Amino acid sequence: MKIKTWGAVLAALLAVASNAAHADRLDDIKKAGVLRVAAFDSNPPFGFVDPKDNQIVGLDVDYARAVAKSLGVKLEVQPTNPANRIAFLKSGKVDLVFANFTITDERKKEVDFSTPYFASGTQFIAKKGVLKSPDQINSLRIGADKGTTNEQQVRAKFPNATIVAYDDTPFAFAALRTGNVQAITQDGPKLVALLARVPDKASYEIPAFTISNDYEGVGVPKGETRLLNAVNGTLTKLEADGDASRIYDRWFGPKSAAPLPRLFKIGDPQKNG
Amino acid sequence: MNEVDWLASLRYLLLGAFPSGPLGGVALTLALSVASAVLAVIIGLGGGIALAMTRGVAQILLTALVAFFRAIPVLMLIFWTFFLMPILLHVNVPGLATVVCALALIGGAYLSHSVHAGIVSIGDGQWQAAMSLGLTRWQALREVVLPQAVRVMMPSFVNQWVSLIKDTSLAYIVGVPEFTFLANQLNNRLMVYPAQIFLFVGFVYLMLCGALQGLAHVVLSPAMHRRKARL
Amino acid sequence: MHSWLDPKYLAWLEQGFAVTLMLSACAAICATLLGFALAVARTSSNAALARVAASYVFVFRNSPLLVQLLFWYFGAAVLLPSEWMTWLNTPHAAMLGPFALRWPSFEVFAGWIGLTCYTTAFIGEEFRAGMRGVSAAQEQAAAALGMSRYAVLRYVILPQALRIATPPLAGQYMNVVKNSSLTMAIGVAELSYMSRQVDTESFRTFQAFGTATVFYVLTIAVIEAALVVWQRTGVRALRRVHA
Repeated sequence: MKIKTWGAVLAALLAVASNAAHADRLDDIKKAGVLRVAAFDSNPPFGFVDPKDNQIVGLDVDYARAVAKSLGVKLEVQPTNPANRIAFLKSGKVDLVFANFTITDERKKEVDFSTPYFASGTQFIAKKGVLKSPDQINSLRIGADKGTTNEQQVRAKFPNATIVAYDDTPFAFAALRTGNVQAITQDGPKLVALLARVPDKASYEIPAFTISNDYEGVGVPKGETRLLNAVNGTLTKLEADGDASRIYDRWFGPKSAAPLPRLFKIGDPQKNG
Repeated sequence: MNEVDWLASLRYLLLGAFPSGPLGGVALTLALSVASAVLAVIIGLGGGIALAMTRGVAQILLTALVAFFRAIPVLMLIFWTFFLMPILLHVNVPGLATVVCALALIGGAYLSHSVHAGIVSIGDGQWQAAMSLGLTRWQALREVVLPQAVRVMMPSFVNQWVSLIKDTSLAYIVGVPEFTFLANQLNNRLMVYPAQIFLFVGFVYLMLCGALQGLAHVVLSPAMHRRKARL
Repeated sequence: MHSWLDPKYLAWLEQGFAVTLMLSACAAICATLLGFALAVARTSSNAALARVAASYVFVFRNSPLLVQLLFWYFGAAVLLPSEWMTWLNTPHAAMLGPFALRWPSFEVFAGWIGLTCYTTAFIGEEFRAGMRGVSAAQEQAAAALGMSRYAVLRYVILPQALRIATPPLAGQYMNVVKNSSLTMAIGVAELSYMSRQVDTESFRTFQAFGTATVFYVLTIAVIEAALVVWQRTGVRALRRVHA
């Protein structure tokens, strides 16, 4: 009678509540039918705007598209600069970050990382003849991107250098061109790709030394284990099927604007330091 | 460097990636401006009337609130609504809405101040005459004081809307693909035409703001003349 | 319980605040002088000069400050001859006794130029409104006394215009402080830039933005308080004269 109906209502409510408690980001993505991803819009070839159709394309976007396909949803790309990556992820504006996101212990406290899918080292680019060895860095003005590990590494290793942080790499490069800074720092592959696309490339050079060994992975909201596992699964499968190699060749292969040999495969052991 | 397709770039700046993507560029700037303006007017009228009609603690709190929103830089408020509000309130708000929210709050605060000043500028005589005719305070406000106050405040409304159009450019800092953001993206890609691109951007904003002021002048001046003629 | 913010990050924010104050002060002073000249130009009897001044006001008031800053930083740098750019980019220092006046880096210079040009347009209009607020009878009476246009301006109109314009002028100074936050887009290490920097490194979003907001609101409050003090002493001075 009364007790039975109330009991039934309570049981139904509990069932709904427990379902709601188990619904996580992966379920939300599948229900919405769209995977929202943050990617660069001014950093070829990782993420940039293709002038032919004004869509954001690049190495990171290709990986994101593969993950979206494996989840059976559409892909939506939110353009970002390095400083906004974590903020977009933490405030729920995107589900994943595919933006050359370097894995660090500090960042692991705020977000989760997938298995690394790219490796690089911090390098510099300067006008020809200016920068020959790392010892000079302490006396120079160095441009960096806000919110990147490159900026933090230079600050830690070269405390006497003057660091000016810009919103994104093209800003920093414009500062380099006008002489506002004497060198800028970024991941080696990014600098190689940047140099290949600059109209006055003959005036610049990338000295051969690096000051770090970094690994980049996909940024996942903290605690979303099912989503993390789905992403890792897709990445491993891409490597096994040879798709990861194909994606790399498309942007860094011998026919691309800035060829670089592929030294790191998904699943390779990570060097430390 | 490849040949630059200026026409396609222009279309991108005006509309963004629409329809094969979200609306962007000048179209989005206009949408942001209109949405923020409408909300700001609502907040401004409500706040101004509240400032005029309340007394004591409520009025002091309201004055402090309005003063706070007039003191904070627009950029900082966009940081707050964009980065912090979703974390604090556990609500996922799309980027556009947070920018509209920030602009509407600041615009609303300025308009509250103007509306309040406008209401206060309508002399005591009007209030007393209305109430001696048996109208309540609220009826006096609605039928007698507010219509006159609005006519006094219109220039400051128009100024605030012009400010709003300019402030939508700040959405660029948080990745909203409005006009300034897309122009910057284009500049990053082309690298060698910064002066031309930013001059063009400035020119378009000049046209938008100038058009708004011209429209306001055309609509408001005859009303002003009619009012003077009737006196 | 964690502290509010590491002292290292607090120091960053304080440095940023110092840059904000210095940039705002320099821009405000220059904009006041130039705005004054602009107002005189707008009300001059030379039609061409008046039109040029009017177009300056139209252009700089109706385009966003952000776009103007981006133009000065990127566009002007491309348009200026390269020798100027080299000079602007090398550090210079002038010794003034024990103090060394260091020429600021290019982004601070561009930020100062952009902020000054923008604010000049607004301050010019406030001065013009102030001059309009002085009744025409004053100008006619002074002319009737045989004073030249310059003397009329200097002794009769401007003192009164300044008193009328001071409250809106204080409002414009508050705007300069708030608008200085936009220079973060061209890399000036002022308060908003630093608050972003602290946020991305320490992840203490609330503390970083909260501290910066407090600094801004305090500065605005100080300017507001100065205005109130000025108004009170001004009124008292007037009463003393007429007593």
